[in-house]
Amino acid sequence: METLLATLPFLLDPSILIAAFVGVTWGILGGALPGISPSITMALLLPFTYTMDPAAAIVILASTYVGAEYGGSVPAILIRTPGTNAAAATVLDGYEMNLQGKAGLALGISLYSGFIGSMVGLVLLMLLSAPLSSVALAFTPPAYFALGILGLSVIATLSGDSLVKGLIAALLGLIIATIGTDPVTGSNRFTFGSADLLGGIEPVMIMVGLFAMSELLAQASKRGEVDKIRSRPRIEFPDWPLAKRLIPSQLIGSAIGSFEGVMPGAGGTIASFMSYNEARRWSKHPEEFGKGSPEGIAAPETANNAVAETAIIPVLSFGIPGSNSTAILLGGFLIHGLQPGPMLFEQAGDVIYGLYAGLFVAIIGMMIMGIAMLPLCVWMVNRPLPYLNAVILALILSGIYSIHGSLFDVGLMLAAGVLGFFMRMLRFPFLPTVLGLVLGFLVESNFRRSLVLSGDDYMIFVDDRISLALLVLSALFIFGSLARRVIAALRKENRLAFSEGSEG
Amino acid sequence: MLYHRITGLSAGLTAALLAAGTAQAQDYPVDTVTLVTHSSPGGGSDVFLRELARYLGPALGANVVVENVTGGSGANAIADLAQSPADGSRLYATTPTFIYTSLLSELEYGYDDLEPLVNVFTDPEVIFTAADSPYQTLEDVIQHARDDRGTWGAANPASLERQSLEMLKTATGVDAAVVTHEGGGDLMINVLNGTLDIGVGEIQELAGQIEAGEVRILATLTAEPIEAYPDLPTVQSLGYDVAVRKFRGLAGPKGLPEDVIAAWERAIPEVLANPEYQAVYEANSLRPDFIPHDEYAAFIAEFGAETEQFLRETGVIQ
Repeated sequence: METLLATLPFLLDPSILIAAFVGVTWGILGGALPGISPSITMALLLPFTYTMDPAAAIVILASTYVGAEYGGSVPAILIRTPGTNAAAATVLDGYEMNLQGKAGLALGISLYSGFIGSMVGLVLLMLLSAPLSSVALAFTPPAYFALGILGLSVIATLSGDSLVKGLIAALLGLIIATIGTDPVTGSNRFTFGSADLLGGIEPVMIMVGLFAMSELLAQASKRGEVDKIRSRPRIEFPDWPLAKRLIPSQLIGSAIGSFEGVMPGAGGTIASFMSYNEARRWSKHPEEFGKGSPEGIAAPETANNAVAETAIIPVLSFGIPGSNSTAILLGGFLIHGLQPGPMLFEQAGDVIYGLYAGLFVAIIGMMIMGIAMLPLCVWMVNRPLPYLNAVILALILSGIYSIHGSLFDVGLMLAAGVLGFFMRMLRFPFLPTVLGLVLGFLVESNFRRSLVLSGDDYMIFVDDRISLALLVLSALFIFGSLARRVIAALRKENRLAFSEGSEG
Repeated sequence: MLYHRITGLSAGLTAALLAAGTAQAQDYPVDTVTLVTHSSPGGGSDVFLRELARYLGPALGANVVVENVTGGSGANAIADLAQSPADGSRLYATTPTFIYTSLLSELEYGYDDLEPLVNVFTDPEVIFTAADSPYQTLEDVIQHARDDRGTWGAANPASLERQSLEMLKTATGVDAAVVTHEGGGDLMINVLNGTLDIGVGEIQELAGQIEAGEVRILATLTAEPIEAYPDLPTVQSLGYDVAVRKFRGLAGPKGLPEDVIAAWERAIPEVLANPEYQAVYEANSLRPDFIPHDEYAAFIAEFGAETEQFLRETGVIQ
């Protein structure tokens, strides 16, 4: 209730309203473009958030995430190509409905289910974030160290096919995080006499390079014709009997989406497929699934939009990003000098309430813009790739340059882009690198700070109860996912579930 | 670039018009003075400069603009200034950061490549503890460090705050852990949750917490008591010879002409006495601390030498 009252005034703040609308619009466009994932869409925007007010900057990024999760279903339904990984499940029945001449209804169900999923997610975000972080003051340096370790332990679940590749990728991020000023002594490390490196490498340069620049390089190396949309679809919302029929699948989608959102490493893709499966299991018409079932669109689309909101909970409460997209959102906080985590609610309550209000506006905006922008999305998906990529390249370069007016930063970003290109080719996941980069400094500085406090006595990590609990949790996490890998290898299962988590 | 020239030109014109309009503003050698800061727009030094610039214009007889040359913890700004013409048209807002950065990195240009001009303010540094901590006086804290393991915190590793704690450690002869952080927010958490016995910070940064009754200030590291807190003892008065001066002043390229120096030595005291400006800086707990050119050069040289010695002793630099 208190949260609600604190949020209300921000609904009238024009900068937040504008940020929410711009973000959701940008997100729908980015989501609709196959190959441009929500995280890339957000990364492209990141450099431009520097000059914004912190609340507006966070709102625009979060709204982009929400918009992109809906946008991904547009090409999934129309050209059988999911715009985002999380929309892959929507292809199954969405494209079938399109073939049956019901593309408009399919888009309507997707938009309306996305709206419901987002609203459920937002309510959970508002209810859960503050209580989880109310332990703020109890977090001492050893506890922060353990929190960072918990964040890094996510790598075990997120590493795609190969745990070794995930660890190498994480190490890369940790190495980059050591550049700059030593957190305890204050001397310079690995700066090679360069004044540009004194302050360390900002995660934004690496993120934009890894996600966006490398995608352009990868696309430039591809040839071939893209599917084109011939028809001119119009959104059509389901009537009451159909809406009633969709309720169970939307409930399933909301529940699974919210759960997977909060769990680090799960993400939208797993949530969509899981809820698709569960919706089919509980449906009265399971035989229609795969042949154009409206429930087959409602469940995954509710789920991936619920993920977009609930995935913000661990970022706000603990500063742990569970996916690429939330890692970029964390980058947005860091740009404005806000360290997400237990103290965030005390230090920047305004930003958080602004975020809640902004998301609410963005979800409403998604309904409006989803209808209004359909022709634009159709037009864009039909553009030749070279033109599109040229525009994106210009956006990346100008965005990075405008942060500090520094060509050195542009060089850094390009280097990260080349690195990302090779990581893609060799199938290294990006998220471990980003996690290493953003958590490396937190882990290192708090580890060393704890030892300064205790006089080099390692028992400080065991004596601190929060630290102990988090370290045990991390250990369980790591062993749990290792065990899952072993079982999966023994059963020679399809590895789809693992490899999906590394994108989006 | 073209845009900059145009704004520079128009600013010059405005200044010339202003100079023609007023009788006493005439003798500053250039029309426009650019004050360079390494802090980003909205940062501590930036706000201080922009406020100062508003009142300086008329006193100096020149148009005063602020430019942010960020990056490299001040290294870029120092290099920029060292290569600027020494005609008083381009000056740098100094804080202890410019000395720390010069000493910590092997830069092409360091603080000794600049000429200190005058000092304007000092930020009082104080020692504080959580309101619910058992320590009522600095002596309690030091006694605790003698009996047990003391934990003292500073916001940043290479900073005047840390230096002052290391000095206090030497002066008291206790073996306390001096814990450094990533900024004042981090430090505040650890003071409030009792991880640290005390922290050191600038009084204006603590104003919110002091007002909210969350922290208690125990002593000031200034040489003189602070007007706003007359009952607060100085560390020196408690018998430990530690006092630091977090300065905020100006420096320029080497070889500043006499008339420029004279103009600033006249303008700064005048601006500091301006009642309107006084209200602004007093609200921010800044202490006017005008130091004329000759004295300031000696002060900076001494500050630099002391800091270098401290950094060597603590093993930060070799």
